[in-house]
Amino acid sequence: MTPYRFVPHTADVAAELRAESELGLYQAGVDALRELLVGTSPVRSLEERPIPVRGADPTERLVRFLGDVLYLYDTERFVPDRVSPAGLSGEPFDPARHHALREVKAVTYHGAAVLRDAAGCRATIVFDV
Amino acid sequence: MPQVERIDDYRWRIPRQGGMRTEGLIFADDQLMRDLEGDQAVQQVANVAHLPGIVGPAIAMPDIHWGYGFPIGGVAAFDEAEGVVSPGGVGYDINCGVRLLATPLTLGEARPRLRQLVDALYATIPSGLGASRSDVRLARGDLDQVLRLGARWAVEQGYGDPADLEAIEGNGTLPDADPDCVSDRAKERGKSQLGTVGSGNHFVEVGYVAERHDERVADRLGLGPATVTVFIHSGSRGLGYQVCDDHLDLMLRAAAKYGIALPDKQLCCAPLGSPEGKRYWGAMNAAANYAFANRQLMAHYARRALGTVFGEDTARRTRLVYDVCHNIAKHETHEVSGARTRLCVHRKGATRAFPPGHPELAPQFRDIGQPVLIPGDMGRYSYVLVGTAGAFTETFGSSCHGAGRRLSRHKAKQLARPRNIPMELEAQGILIRAATRATVDEEMPEAYKDVARVVDVVDRAGIGRKVAQLKPVAVVKG
Repeated sequence: MTPYRFVPHTADVAAELRAESELGLYQAGVDALRELLVGTSPVRSLEERPIPVRGADPTERLVRFLGDVLYLYDTERFVPDRVSPAGLSGEPFDPARHHALREVKAVTYHGAAVLRDAAGCRATIVFDV
Repeated sequence: MPQVERIDDYRWRIPRQGGMRTEGLIFADDQLMRDLEGDQAVQQVANVAHLPGIVGPAIAMPDIHWGYGFPIGGVAAFDEAEGVVSPGGVGYDINCGVRLLATPLTLGEARPRLRQLVDALYATIPSGLGASRSDVRLARGDLDQVLRLGARWAVEQGYGDPADLEAIEGNGTLPDADPDCVSDRAKERGKSQLGTVGSGNHFVEVGYVAERHDERVADRLGLGPATVTVFIHSGSRGLGYQVCDDHLDLMLRAAAKYGIALPDKQLCCAPLGSPEGKRYWGAMNAAANYAFANRQLMAHYARRALGTVFGEDTARRTRLVYDVCHNIAKHETHEVSGARTRLCVHRKGATRAFPPGHPELAPQFRDIGQPVLIPGDMGRYSYVLVGTAGAFTETFGSSCHGAGRRLSRHKAKQLARPRNIPMELEAQGILIRAATRATVDEEMPEAYKDVARVVDVVDRAGIGRKVAQLKPVAVVKG
């Protein structure tokens, strides 16, 4: 199962996420966001950052989690790698190894909905770029 | 897609259907309407018409395209007592806007040193991902002053001339700003980004006056034949994005609290008089002031670049033509059913276009109307318009804001991959400097609608009047 794929959106970037669990969906979202931010630059899990899971439903929790990941990148240049129950692991941006591709303004609620089916969870997330 | 009816060559109506409280009104010609097939922009106009307290139609400008919640190119006015304020109706980049400078140079005088100029602009105004300035570090108290005073703070610090303030919408300071409504996270994101372009569709562009549609008004604005100009497109950077994000969370809860049914979560909103609405209002105006200060600093550094390349006299004689917001909500007085009525007008990807004689215009624009700055793509042209009485009666004094995307970023990159867009543009006489190839490819000219078509619809529909066309010769992209 491909965890994420980008789908057409005129002004911004939309990604379809698929995973077996809600936590897996966060990882798929982090993978999509990382590709937008630094492309295929290799990223290591050298440090951890706590991210509290917040929100009244799975959709809010996903959007807020990814918003927190983006905030860490924007303020600390913390490049995300893996999602853990406590938060996120990754490493500080290293211009020698990481290629900054673009600015992502926000993770939006536009059309966002976490759906469950026999294969697990899926969602579409629009990133404002 | 909802049912749409043609009204005339440039107007389309979305009749009330389902839970719509009013109808939709789209300004477009046949081609621009065809461009909308397959995306959700028209549905988004209909969705906006569901919101409580909306006055008049939910409006879309000819550069309409699919946004989040509200369409980009959308205008919606709400009754101050019954209506709502919605962060989705303003956008993430609060007070994203455009500023135009007119230099004392003609294209012939500037052409020999354009390469030095674009290099100086690229070096002087940080662009691209994570752009920040090490020479403008703000202490917390300074940042609060930026949020309170906007461009006036920048001028008081020596970034620009006091005369600049008269050529900025609202004089560059929105009085309802409340820094206490801006979160620490937002302040953290914004503290080192003042005076930076950002990425995506933001830019600093050197151009020249290629055509003058109204010579009298063009002369009044300092846009003589072949005058070299500098166009700056940017907004409130990470601070504004975070303000929007923070308040979307609050507004989601507020919409449920006040029993507001939302056809799309991103339309979340709160009554204007509610604590949640007032809190967003204070934060939004503070972020808007940050954006005014941001563009004021960029203009200052653009003048420095001009001074380096062409001499200090050129920098000193470079005038601010105008600075407009195109992502903002404002309290304004409009005539509704024959009565003067206070409204909260949301413009998301739309520009205020007040007519000649409007009391809110600075004296130098009172007899010509509010300047409207419409950037196009980096390969073709941009436009300067002025506001009209038609805009005031039909669109709450609003006009378009740009070309509007035609292709997704993914599609644009696919088309650009086998080509070298900077070299193609240089062959046309347009120099490009950019932080990454990805941005240039995604922003290739074909990715946008022809802004001339957009502006022609505006002009012919009477919701703006063409003054001048500018063509680019050097572009700094983020």
